[in-house]
Amino acid sequence: MNCERVREQIPEVLAGRLEGAARERLIEHLDTCAACRAQVAELGVVWRGLEAMAQPEPSPAMKSRFLETLHAYEEGFQEAQRRLTYTPPKRSWFWQPAWQVVFATVVLAAGLAGGRYLMPHEAAPVSNPEIAQLKGQVDTLRQMVALSLLQDQSASSRLRGVTYSNQMTQPDRDVAQALLHAVSHDSNVNVRLSAVDALAKFASDPEVRRAMADSLAVQDSPLVQVALIDLLVQLHAREGVPVILKLSQDKDANEAVRQRAVSALEKLGGAQ
Amino acid sequence: MEDEQVMQEVRAGSVGKLEVLFDRHSRALFRYFLHLTSDRAASEDLVQEVFFRILKYRHTYQPETSFRAWMYQVGRNVYLDHAGKRKAEVGLPEYAMEMTSSEMPADRQVQQRQEAVLLHKALASLPPEKREVLVMSRFLELKYEEIASVLKIEVGTVKVRVYRALRELGDRFYAMGGERA
Repeated sequence: MNCERVREQIPEVLAGRLEGAARERLIEHLDTCAACRAQVAELGVVWRGLEAMAQPEPSPAMKSRFLETLHAYEEGFQEAQRRLTYTPPKRSWFWQPAWQVVFATVVLAAGLAGGRYLMPHEAAPVSNPEIAQLKGQVDTLRQMVALSLLQDQSASSRLRGVTYSNQMTQPDRDVAQALLHAVSHDSNVNVRLSAVDALAKFASDPEVRRAMADSLAVQDSPLVQVALIDLLVQLHAREGVPVILKLSQDKDANEAVRQRAVSALEKLGGAQ
Repeated sequence: MEDEQVMQEVRAGSVGKLEVLFDRHSRALFRYFLHLTSDRAASEDLVQEVFFRILKYRHTYQPETSFRAWMYQVGRNVYLDHAGKRKAEVGLPEYAMEMTSSEMPADRQVQQRQEAVLLHKALASLPPEKREVLVMSRFLELKYEEIASVLKIEVGTVKVRVYRALRELGDRFYAMGGERA
């Protein structure tokens, strides 16, 4: 056994991980080689010295920050799950679409016939105006909370702001602008990534899609770049093609981002 | 329950279970970053970032692989992103003076403190790739197979790298005046 091969095993011996025949061979070699014995002794001092080093503890705030983020994420995730997994309760044969059509046709015919003989009445309002007003107020409130949280100092509050924006039933331009600002300028990558997800809701607005492409051009985080490329592909947003093309040819770009850009171009090209 | 089983549940949607993995690994992860950055606040931020990415990219976890190795792969990417933005400063770690106390005589304690400071200096002065492999092996007690998976290299290469890193640490420590055996 040559000395170099023996010495490569010194860290394993010191860590107590070398066992069986390998350990026997090493001990046999050390019995006859003073130079290797000396090195085991010297490195043993260093190895044990490392053990004596203090193992610093993180501050308790680290756990509470984690829990805050986890709960905000969990809240958003469960909300998304509820929307995805909602299935209407099973109904009797009467509520099957075909029977509903038959029934509606009969009622309509009866209504038309009856209508000829009855005095026309003023149509009742389609929905209760108070409920409509209340819904509008809740949406405005959510919008205000989302906007105010998105400007907060703390990253976890801004994350909650993104979650709130997801709960709005009517996409609002101010919120879309705040999310776009977060995607391009937020100091925290997590907030930027969540804002990208939340922007999917506003994708019908061509201006938002253009702004997403602009944001991709100035983005410095590879993760956010990949998320934006994926979203632009998912939306078949051809507005993103020039920026994605540039990224796919940029030799300084992150390799994963470049590959994602190349694959995105194929998909967007197919969407033409 | 094994880490891998917990992570499978997180992957399947029980995201709250991530707290179990945070409790098990956040300290070691914090120390890994602290050895690389010498900055407590930054290290705590990097730990948050790792667990957030684990949440966001939980579907990329392969159930048959070691969770620890995967977590450190994510951690390494987080660190590289961080180091790319801010050139990592290699200096004496701010916690270098925090030594473990014991019942030994005062003069022996003083000598051991001095040696520990020298060792900290020597470790902080190692090139980052050597410091990293040594921290993984010595402080995180990762198996060579796990280190190989994190660094995406062969197990044999890990073995050689850990040895060379330890030898260089020894050379620096003794050159600074550390007591030989």
